[in-house]
Amino acid sequence: MSKVIVIDDEPFILMMIEDKLKKAALEVVTIRESSTAMEVIRRELPDLVILDWMMPEVSGIDICRMLKQDETLKQIPVFMLTAKGQDADEQLGRQIGVERYITKPFSPKMLLEMVQETLGNDKS
Amino acid sequence: MTSPESDLSLTVQELSHAYEELSLLYRLSEVFSCMSIEDICSRIADEAVTSIGVKTAAVLCMDENADKLLTRTSRGDWDNSREFPRDEEILWKVIQAKKPSAFCRLADTEHRNYLPAHRSLMVCPLIGKTRVVGALVVADKEADEEFFSSDSKLLMAISSQAGLAIENALLYAELESLLVGAIRSLVKALEASSCWTAGHTERVTEYAVGIGKVMGQPDDIVEKLKICALLHDIGKIATPKEILNKNEGLDEAEWTEIQRHPGLGAEILVELKQFKDIILSIKYHHEHWDGQKGLYGLKHEEIPLMARILSVADAYDAMTSDRPYRKMLSQEAAVKEIERCSGTQFDPSVVKAFLVWIRSFSPRRRVSLP
Repeated sequence: MSKVIVIDDEPFILMMIEDKLKKAALEVVTIRESSTAMEVIRRELPDLVILDWMMPEVSGIDICRMLKQDETLKQIPVFMLTAKGQDADEQLGRQIGVERYITKPFSPKMLLEMVQETLGNDKS
Repeated sequence: MTSPESDLSLTVQELSHAYEELSLLYRLSEVFSCMSIEDICSRIADEAVTSIGVKTAAVLCMDENADKLLTRTSRGDWDNSREFPRDEEILWKVIQAKKPSAFCRLADTEHRNYLPAHRSLMVCPLIGKTRVVGALVVADKEADEEFFSSDSKLLMAISSQAGLAIENALLYAELESLLVGAIRSLVKALEASSCWTAGHTERVTEYAVGIGKVMGQPDDIVEKLKICALLHDIGKIATPKEILNKNEGLDEAEWTEIQRHPGLGAEILVELKQFKDIILSIKYHHEHWDGQKGLYGLKHEEIPLMARILSVADAYDAMTSDRPYRKMLSQEAAVKEIERCSGTQFDPSVVKAFLVWIRSFSPRRRVSLP
C-alpha cells in the first residue's frame, strides 16, 4: 500500500484529502504543524508528500528544500498546494523540485487522479 | 443511531463535494472569458467529463428556429449527426421543465429505445439570460454507478455558466455578422459605380488576410485586417464615375483626383470611433516603405502594419487584373514586380510573407517560381 503524507495547517483540507485518498486504498498520514513535518517524513518514509505552500512556522517551500537536500528523501515526489494567484512563484517551486502544482480550490477528484498517476509511474 | 465517526465522515464527504463544486466554478469563470462558441462548447464537454466522471458528454444547441437540438461538441459514444426535434421525449421535457433530470437504468424504463447505447443519463438545460440556448447531456459514469445528487449539482454548476456564456457568444457573433454585412453593403455600393473594381475588394481581402496569417498575426488583428481590406477603397465613392470608368490612361489632374481616395476613405469613416487604427491603415495604404513616393511621406514603421500589408495585396491584385488602360500581367510577372519593389515601395517582411503565402497557401493562384 502506497503511503502519502499531507501537510497543511487547514484542518478541513487535511480531512478532505485524507478521506479521498483513503477511499482509494492509500495509506495517509496528516500533519498540521509544519515544524514536525521533517521528523515525521523521516520516520514514515512516504511515497509522496503533499504540501501547502503557505503555513505558519515552516513554509512548504522550506520543507521541500530540506527534503530535496536529503540523500535518502530526495526521490520522494512533492505536490505543492498554492492559493490562486501565486503563479509567479511556480518557477521557484520547479527549481527546487516540485513535481506538481495544485491551485486551491482544487478538485479532490482530480487530485486523486494526479496522485495515482504519480504513484503508478514510480512503480512501473 | 449513527456514531460520531460516521457523522464526521459524512460531513467530510459533503464538504468535499462542496469543494469540488467550488473548484469547478473557479475553473469555469476562466474558461468563459473566451468568445468563440466552439471553444466554449469544447471546454464545457471536457469539464463535464472530468468533473462528473462520465464516459459521454454532449453539448446540444438550439437551431435558429428553436425547433430542434443539434450537437455542437461531444465526447465519448455519441452520434453527432442525430437531430432532436421538438416534442421528443426526455430532452425536450427537460428543456420545458427548465431544470435538470437524471434517468437511471434506462433499459428498464419506457425510454429504453431513446438512446439505447447508454445505461443512464443526466440532462440539464442551458439557460441564458433571455432564453434556453441548448442542453448539456452526460451519460454513464466511469465507475458504473448511478448518478448522485452531488453529480447533479456539478452538472447544474456547469450548465448555468455555460448557458450565459453561449448566449453571449451567440449575441457577439450576431453583432459581428451585422457589422461585416453593413461593410459589405458599403463595398457593393462602391463596386456598383465602377465596372473595373468588381471583385477587387474581395480578392484584396483574401490576399491581405493570407499575408497576415503567414506573418503570425493574432486573430483579432487578422479580423481588423479583413475589415480594413474590405473598406480600403471606400473613398472612391467620392471619385467621379467618369474617372473610375475611363477607358484610356488618366491625365495628371485625374490621377490627383484618384489619389485622394485614401484620405477621403478615412474622412468617410471618421465617425466610427472604434475603427481608429483601421481608418489610419486605410489612409496610409498607398504609402511607400522608403518614404519616397507615398502620398503622405511616411516611411518604415511610421506606416501602420495593416497598411503595409494592404499595399502589397492591393498592388498584386491591380497588376493581375485587367484595367481599361492596360492589360493585366501574368501572376509570375506580378510576383517578380512585387519582389523587385521590396524595400522601396513595400515592406520587405510583408513581401516575404506574401511570397510564402502565394506559393503555398493559395491553391487557386499557385505560382510556380524557383
